Amino acid sequence: MSFEYFTSILVPMLEGAQMTVLLFFIAIIVSVPLGFLLTLAVKSSFKLVSLLAQGYIYVMRGTPLLLQLLLICFGLPMLPVVGEYLVFDRFVAACIGFVLNYAAYFAEIFRGGLLAIDKGQYEASKVLGLSKWQTTTRIILPQMVRVTLPAIANESVTLVKDTALLYAVAVPELLHFAQTAVNRDFTIVPFFVAGMIYLVMTLFLTFIFKGIERRYKFE
Amino acid sequence: MAIIEISNLKKSFGKLDVLKQITFDVNKNDVIAVIGPSGSGKSTMLRSLVHLEEINGGSITIAGEAFVKDGVYAKPQDIKKITSKMGMVFQHFNLFPHLTVKENLELPPKLVKNEPVTTIQQRSMELLRKIGLTNHAHVYPANLSGGQKQRVAIARALMMNPEILLFDEPTSALDPELTGEVLEVIKALAQEQMTMIVVTHEMGFAREVANRVIFMDNGEIIETGHPSELFTNPQNERTKAFLSRSLK
Repeated sequence: MSFEYFTSILVPMLEGAQMTVLLFFIAIIVSVPLGFLLTLAVKSSFKLVSLLAQGYIYVMRGTPLLLQLLLICFGLPMLPVVGEYLVFDRFVAACIGFVLNYAAYFAEIFRGGLLAIDKGQYEASKVLGLSKWQTTTRIILPQMVRVTLPAIANESVTLVKDTALLYAVAVPELLHFAQTAVNRDFTIVPFFVAGMIYLVMTLFLTFIFKGIERRYKFE
Repeated sequence: MAIIEISNLKKSFGKLDVLKQITFDVNKNDVIAVIGPSGSGKSTMLRSLVHLEEINGGSITIAGEAFVKDGVYAKPQDIKKITSKMGMVFQHFNLFPHLTVKENLELPPKLVKNEPVTTIQQRSMELLRKIGLTNHAHVYPANLSGGQKQRVAIARALMMNPEILLFDEPTSALDPELTGEVLEVIKALAQEQMTMIVVTHEMGFAREVANRVIFMDNGEIIETGHPSELFTNPQNERTKAFLSRSLK
């Protein structure tokens, strides 16, 4: 095993990892706020809005992410009449799938976080004259973030690993290059390299979340 | 003139009547102690004054303006305006855990009141000095003792410049050795002529500070009077029974 071989597979794999990282950031940046909106929808006093949001979360969490990705990439274009307008770039389609799926998971995490907040916080806010919006953004949200951070960190690590599903919809990413190298060179090494890269990414993520948790300790 | 007029307050949870025809007035500078056994409706009565509970009948008038009249509530913005004359101190403090002591004091007026920030900061420093926690301005509530938390909660309520301060069992969640420091703050407010209603189990405190004591049982006001009369010479049998139990 030469060092030259190692670098020769590492470079394309790192390029593939860029896709992984890009998908991760898009998914997390869009699905976290979307998830919070879903939580608010679930808690809405409009019954219809609440039921729709609950139904959405049930479907998204109750079916495999892989199925959802395949449906968006290959299923939607088959629909009669509207199908021809639903042909997305594979990567875009995958982003849509990840965002829609993860928003449902984050919504459940946030719902749990809201349950952990004492009703006295709402009462104190009301008596002090804060509006509902002020109460939500200034009092409830920061406390919810603190409560849910460990769960969000956990979900984020899962998201990093789930990006490997891009393989199934033929978007060239980290795992794709590893698999190609394994087949071409008949060696197990690329799998280990891929594993290392995933580990580095999740380790980095763990450190970031530990830092955020320290900032939100309120002690 | 009465600053709070409460008449025929009625509230029920399902079939259970928690408040039955509660009527009393509060004058400016009154310190009223509300005593009675658990479940007598004391807290519910207090909470209905700041619209944390909806009543099913009766009227509440604050400084001449009714926010609920014969069981019919005013418009939300009117309710808010009228109830903003009152501050409330809770049994479990309800400080905002993600804000420091100073931020707990300053955030609500910054969001709600139309005042220059410097005025708000000045007032918070003054109040911190008054409750003896100047050195804790940048500490989070998690690092305070129960007594300190409750003193901060009182200061936070005072930041809104209320005309009336309501206390819902302010010392019930405290260790016995910490109740004194909180009661001292309330006593100091009484000396400054703050109008207050205090729901309490501290009979000694009620006797010393209140100018009127209301004894509630089973959703009704059973007896009311000056502490010197009510504690030494209660007229009603239920008052006698309660006092002999709690003064033991």
